[in-house]
This record gives sequence, structure tokens and C-alpha cells, in this order.
Amino acid sequence: MSYVPVEEIIKSQKTPGFKTTPEEAPTEDFHDILFQLEKEGELIVQRVPEPYLEVPTKYGRKKKIPLQKTWHHKSCGQCGHIPGYSTSIFWINRKLGFDYIDPRDQTSCTAWNYYASATSNAPAQAAVAIRNFSSAYETGYFPIIHCGTSFGHYKEVRHELLHHHELRRQVRDIMERLGKKLVLPEEIVHYSEWVYAIRDRIAEHQVIDMSNITATVHPACHYHKLVEEDAVYDPEIYGAQRTAIVTGTLKALGINVKDYSTWFDCCGFGFRHILVSRDFSRSFAVQRKIEVMKEEVNPDVTVTHDTGCVTTLDQSQFAARAHGRKVGIPVMSDSQIAALAMGAHPYKVLQLHWHNTDNKPFFEKLGIDWKKKWQEFEEAVEKIKSGEKEYLTWEDADA
Amino acid sequence: MPSQDILVIGGGPAGLEAARSIADLGYRAILVEKRDRLGGTPDEAGYAALTPDLRNAEEAMNEMIARVQNNPNVELHLGATVVDAKGQAPDFTVTIKNAKESKQVNVGAVIICTGFQHFDPGRETQKYGYYEFPDVITLVDCEKMLKAHRVVRPSTGEPPERVCFIQCVGSRDRRIGNEYCSKVCCGIASKEAIEIKQQLPNAKVFIFYIDMRMYGYWENEIYWPAQEKYKVNYVKGIATEILQRDGKLLVRGEDTTMRRPFEIPMDLVVLSVGMEPSAGTREMAKIFGLKQNKYKFIETIGGALDTVSTTVPGVFAAGACTGPADLEDSISAAGLAAVKAISTVRQAETVKA
Amino acid sequence: MSSAVESQVLNAFPLDLSQDRYAEVPYEEKARLFEEVKTDIRYHDVLYGCYECGICVAACPSARFYDFSPRVIAQACAREDVELVYTLMNDSIWDCSQCFSCDRCPRGNSPGGLITILREVAVRNGLQSARDALEGYGRIIYKIMSTGTQVSPDMLQPDAFPDWGTHVHEIAENLEVWRRALPPETLHTTDIGWDVDEKTMIELYLIWHMTGVMDMIKEVDEGLFMILQDVMEERLEDAGYDDVTFD
Repeated sequence: MSYVPVEEIIKSQKTPGFKTTPEEAPTEDFHDILFQLEKEGELIVQRVPEPYLEVPTKYGRKKKIPLQKTWHHKSCGQCGHIPGYSTSIFWINRKLGFDYIDPRDQTSCTAWNYYASATSNAPAQAAVAIRNFSSAYETGYFPIIHCGTSFGHYKEVRHELLHHHELRRQVRDIMERLGKKLVLPEEIVHYSEWVYAIRDRIAEHQVIDMSNITATVHPACHYHKLVEEDAVYDPEIYGAQRTAIVTGTLKALGINVKDYSTWFDCCGFGFRHILVSRDFSRSFAVQRKIEVMKEEVNPDVTVTHDTGCVTTLDQSQFAARAHGRKVGIPVMSDSQIAALAMGAHPYKVLQLHWHNTDNKPFFEKLGIDWKKKWQEFEEAVEKIKSGEKEYLTWEDADA
Repeated sequence: MPSQDILVIGGGPAGLEAARSIADLGYRAILVEKRDRLGGTPDEAGYAALTPDLRNAEEAMNEMIARVQNNPNVELHLGATVVDAKGQAPDFTVTIKNAKESKQVNVGAVIICTGFQHFDPGRETQKYGYYEFPDVITLVDCEKMLKAHRVVRPSTGEPPERVCFIQCVGSRDRRIGNEYCSKVCCGIASKEAIEIKQQLPNAKVFIFYIDMRMYGYWENEIYWPAQEKYKVNYVKGIATEILQRDGKLLVRGEDTTMRRPFEIPMDLVVLSVGMEPSAGTREMAKIFGLKQNKYKFIETIGGALDTVSTTVPGVFAAGACTGPADLEDSISAAGLAAVKAISTVRQAETVKA
Repeated sequence: MSSAVESQVLNAFPLDLSQDRYAEVPYEEKARLFEEVKTDIRYHDVLYGCYECGICVAACPSARFYDFSPRVIAQACAREDVELVYTLMNDSIWDCSQCFSCDRCPRGNSPGGLITILREVAVRNGLQSARDALEGYGRIIYKIMSTGTQVSPDMLQPDAFPDWGTHVHEIAENLEVWRRALPPETLHTTDIGWDVDEKTMIELYLIWHMTGVMDMIKEVDEGLFMILQDVMEERLEDAGYDDVTFD
């Protein structure tokens, strides 16, 4: 039998990569229904402000991502326990000169009640979402969602609202009593999509070389598993076979992103588990994520893009270390590492003292003098303690 | 003007059988094939052996081709496509185009045999990484390897110690929009599993499935021998994802019979990709104004009792252009379509006389 | 075959469903609950049918740690096995982590979404499983419902998170000053995630009342209901809402 290099033929067939065909997407384009209902006067659609950027979603459709004039739908978990997360998002906006609003007329999505305890229901969740969207609409600024769960949940709520007339009626009635309108944004945008969309601009402002850093990525379940067609997939990243978010951003920063065999696994957060059954969250985060990364890649940092993931992956390492497990990977959000690359202060902006796992080796590898930086933060804190200053301002953060 | 000639579009198994039947019955077939050679998907994709009888595919197709190639009753148009059609039975005017010229032919009936294409696993809803990992291949790729007697891991060129097949990739999947079963993949995967064991007796071969669909004699001719003689491991449970570890592919799923999740390292993973209508099938449906079903296959209107008539009288469809079909289906339907097409042009002749 | 490539067989789970543990509960009651599940508007988006492919189980974090199977839950509902559904509602649904990894079901099911509905019905009907699952969870519900943010900085107390280490001590000790060392002006709070407008909070309370969420709380935790009612009543009254019955 004559030799045929069949494996080379097979490989070369794959080389052009996967071509998405948006016109043959298996799922409906929610925009069609959204704009139809708008035409029928059933709801108001808030348009993405121009100039916007376009990124591809799972089936190759384009998603509009606003550049600025954004209304920041904050995350309770981020603001409460890892506040450097949202601070970094705001800091990047300011650094790039983008106009935004950090609203007080905003509640969280309350999906924690929905997913954890089920002490809520579809109309309540939809009303909470629309109340927030309506508040954004009133300001003329476009909502951008910080939390992965809020993002995923709002996509579900949108689906329910678009398909159930009765639910729309219910929510419209509630909004009327609150003096608000039934508003849905043209796109539900997660902040990490925004970071991804402007990654080249972030890289242009990069002042810290990160080319010696190896990172792993944990994709947030509620970002890419809930309503999966509305998540960003890019032929350049994983051949459009996995979400491009975070990985694309890190690559733009010159970071060496390495794969590991539990990439798709959840972090173990579990909503009610992280609070009342933490043995599960801890075991899962350590055994299925951190230890696997450590063993297969031994990264300098692991980067993710949701509240619960940062918390679970980071906090769970403490007890595991006490038991001599192979852990010890600092955990950050994409916004934090992007801000750091752009020269943000590790404590005044990234606020890494709220995180748990030792990140000093990471800073040393980057040539950042963390002792000096911590001292600077302590000095700022002293001024607040002594009453010389009431708060740390944005100007102080960059001083 | 009414014609007794019959146009056959597509030179794969169904088209070859339809053209031969027409010629054998003393009518003239005009056979149009877009490639420069006959033989259709078995030839183009390089099948090693046919299912279920494991007959050498090249030899079998050559036999079919020989019956039409120098047949005085068959007018062959290779490297040509149908680009326009006007009129109605038994008087169609069809434009055939090749690289050089366009030609109009007058035919009384048409048989479409434009077949299927394999599902592109880049669109799977599970996470199998076909475009990410060189050692994830399809049934078609595996067929090429078997034909070359070179079943290897594309990443290393070394023969695999462990191979698995994952069934229903692109079939029976609401999220992809292909709710139908592609019918042949269970048989083909089992056939290929046997052939792998024949070529690599020491390899361990697994088939992850939802339901093994081995109708009629496929059960005793393929399924049982695969299990009993070749010791292929059948596991009821489909992989949910594939990632890499230590240079191996880590396949994750649930063994639903044993009710436990599994994570098994594999050297080579074969995705049992299903069938979708080919570009030619979609195009012909458009040109002839045929109704297509929601999956864009050509719709036949006679239910179980007439598997070849379309919504346009005098235009018939046979084989995998009407939906997933195995060779047995395709050949049977092609013969039926030939008879129905001849009956259309004969009736016209009778009326005219 | 080398031993290095032996399959990694994970735990086999002996969830014993052969005996009806809730035989004393009348069939009609179980059927009534299942009817409530089926009439939920989300039901037809989350369950079609199940052909036992196991994709959901392999993707499920809870299935690796608990005697839990999203496939069994989906199949039980698909078969309309009223008794088994009741058993699962009592013994299994609270193990789910609601991560929705199971959403890649080729049948288009969302076992996670189905479980959300099952849990809501369990809560609305005050099932013991719901009461047990929510024990110790009341403060979270209280936070969410009374402040509109689930997680507040002052929850970071060493006794609440002993396994998170000494750094929680440090945060708790410095909480107030560290919050003030945050540049965003909305984040200087300690008992709430961010500074939420009074009017916004009132609107949220009105939503809870208008959508029956308060009734759900009353069903599973009377004490919590009363505390919430007190807090809300006062602020609603101040805002001019004397009577918050919206029937």
C-alpha cells in the first residue's frame, strides 16, 4: 500500500478555521422581536449610543458595544467584597476619557435571591430588571452590566419578556405605578465585552510589560452558558469554539494564556453554597480549578470576569493551603489586570488588599515594588484616619 | 415542446442508479454533475468501505460509474451545473452551464440527486474542539485514514492506543436546529470501529452513544460483531466536552447506564457528524421552486407510499437530498424515481398521440 | 493499554429512588405541586424531553459532589412521575449550584432552569426542604430585599467566613476606613453594597409587594417576613405609601 500523508490532509482541511454563518443561526435573533414589539408600542428600546464597536457573537452575528455614555449597573458582590473590581472598570473609563455614570438609582439584579433561595419569581425579577433599565433610559446613558450573573439573568428575563405577553403586561402595570416605562436596551452588554472590544485601545495605553506573565482564564458560567448565542466568540480566539472574552483581552496585553483541562468547569460558587454550604464551593474551586491549573500550567495569575468566580477561586485557597494542597494562584478580574497594565495603582485602584491569595510573586515578576505601593496606600489611609481627608479621590488614586 | 428525455442532477450513488435505470428501460438520461468526475460523496470524501457490507467503496462506485459512462442512452455533463429551469412536465427547458458555455436542454422530467453534506462540527453545541485539537476528527476523516491504512493521531503521526467515537454530532440536537436522526452514523461508526480493530488490533475503541440505531440486518452484521468479536466498548452517554491534558484528549461525559460521570484520556476522537442538505440541494430546490422542509431538505409529498415526488409535478428527488438516507435508501429511491419519471414522459406521449 | 491512561472513574452515586419516602403525603398534594410547576410560564422553555445522553450530568459541578443528577430531575418531570418529582423536590433540588452548565442539553432543556421553578414551588408551598435549605440564609434574603444589594461589606466578619483566613479579620478591622479609601463615591458604604437612593429602595419594596414575593417569604420564614415587613412599612409610610396591599 502506498504511503498517503492522510493526517496532513486532514490538518490542512481544518486550517482555514471555522466559518460562522449568521444567516443560518439556529436561534432567533432577539432583535427581530424586540424591534417588532417596539413598533407595536409594547415597549421602548434604548439604542446603543454612537460611536459603538461591533463584536461577533456565537453564530457570527454582530453585537454593538457602546464606547462611552455608559450607565454602570454595578454588582453587589463586587462592590461589597472585591471593590477594586468595579473601581478598575471606572478607572479605565476615566483614563481613556470616556463619559459614564455610576448611578445611585440602581438596585442589584437580585438574582441571588432567584438562583440561591428561589424566594422570588419571574414577574418580580423582570420588574427589578426593567426598573433598572428604565432608570438608565431616563439618564440617556446606556446600561453596561458589571456582574456575570446579572448579565445572564437579564438575558433570560429579556427572553421571557419578549415571548410572554402576559408578563409584559404585568411588568408594564408595575412600572406604571412606579412612574416608569417598560424599557429594554438594544443590547445587554457585559462590561467584559466592553473591555474586550477596546482591548487594542487598552494595549495602546499599556505601560507595564506583561509578556513574561503566564495566565489561565476562567470563563464565567453565567456569562457564556446562559443564553449562549448572545456571548462573544471570535474566530481569532479558540477558533470561535469558546468564548473569546478575557482570553482575547489578555492576549492583547501580551500575556501568555495557557489552557487547562477543566476550562469549562464552574468555579463552585453555587449561590447558596458559597454562603451556607461552603464545603462544596471550596472543594470544587480547589480540586476542579485551582489545583488543575497549578498542576498543568502553574500560572502567575488566573483571570476571570465575574463576581462569584473571583471570590470563590480566591477565597477558597486559604483553607486548602492550610491543608497542604497545591494552591497559591492570585485571582483577578480582567478589568483589574487591564487597569494594572495601564498603570493603575495595585491598592488604590485595584484594591488587592480585599483579595486573599498571595500576589506578591506576581508583582515581583512584573517588576512592581509592592512594598512601596502598599506604603503609599497606607499613607493615604492615614490621611483619612487623621481626618485630613474624608475620602480617597480619583486624583489621589493616581497621585 | 414535450420531451421524453429525463434530466438527472447529481452523479453520486442515487444519480448513477437513476440514470442507469432510465437507460436500461430504453429512455435517455441527461446526467449533470458539478465535479469533474462521477461517484459523488463516497468518491469525493474517499470512503474506504461501504456500510453495512464493508465492500470496497472505490470498486463498488467504479462499477456503478461504468454502467453509465459509456452508455449510449446517457448524455454526461461533467463539471457542469443547472443554473435555470423553465416550463412544466413534460416540457422543461433547463440551462446547463460549465466553465466554457451555457446550454439549454429540453426534458420531460427531472430527478434531483444532489445529496447531503456532512455537518460542520464547528457548530456543535457540545464542546468538542474540532478546530482546536488536531486529534479530533470526523467520520469522514477517519474513512480517509482507513482507506490509506494509516489510522494515526494527526498531532504525532503515531497510531492511537485509544480511540473513541462520539455519536449524534449535529443530529438530534434542538439547539443546532437539526432535530432529526441522521440514520447512518451509528452504522458507520460501528463499521469504522471494526476496521480500526482490524488495522490496529491492540487499540481500545469506544463508542459513546445515546441510542444505537442499527436497523434490520445492521444489528447482526455490524453491531453484534463489533461488540462480540471486536470488543468495541459501547457506552450509553455522550461526551459533554473535550479538552487536552498531558498531550491526550480528555473526554468527559456520563456513563448513564452505570450512572457515573467519566473522564477518559483518548488519543484520537472521531465525531460522528450527521447529514445536512448540500449546497447543490438547496440551490436546486430554489431553481425548480420545490418546497423544502425546515431543515432545507427537499420535501417529498407522498408520505410513506411515495418517497420521491416533490411539490412540482414531473420533478422527483431521490437519496439524501430529501433527508438523511443510507445507501440502501438512496439506491431504492433512485430506481423508484426513474420509474416515476418515465411514467411522466410516457403519459405525455400517450396524451399527445 | 498502559496504566497511565486508565480511565478515571469518578464516584458512582447510589441515589436510591426505589422507595417512596413520602408515601404518607397524599398523591393529590404531590400532583397539585407538580401542576404548579408545569403551569409556570418558563416551564416550556426549560423542559422538552430527555433521551438520557448524560451531557448535563458530566457538565454539572454538583453531580460530582452530591447525590445529585440533573438528568434524573429532567427525566422525572418529562415522565410526569408525580411521586418521583415530589421526592426530588424534597431531597435533591437544593444541591444544584445554578451555574447552568447543563444548558448545553441537545434537547434544549435547561435542568437548572427547571430546578429554579421546582425550588420556587417548594418555597411558595413552604415545603420542609425549602425551610431547611433556607435556614441560616435568612440574613441574605433580608439584605437583598431590604437593601437591594445582596452582599454588603459588613458581612465580611471572621465568624461568618472562618475558612477565608486572617485576611477577613484585617478587612473587618479596617472596614470603615478602607471603604473610604475607595475612589468611586458610591462605594463608601459599609452596610450596603453601594449607596442606593431612597426613592429607588421604595420602588424595590413596591415591586416585592406587587409580585407576591412577600407572600413567598411569609410561607418559609415567618420571622423574617415580620422583620422585613417592619423595615419596609416604616420607609414606605415615610414615602407616602400607607397601605401596600395591591390586590
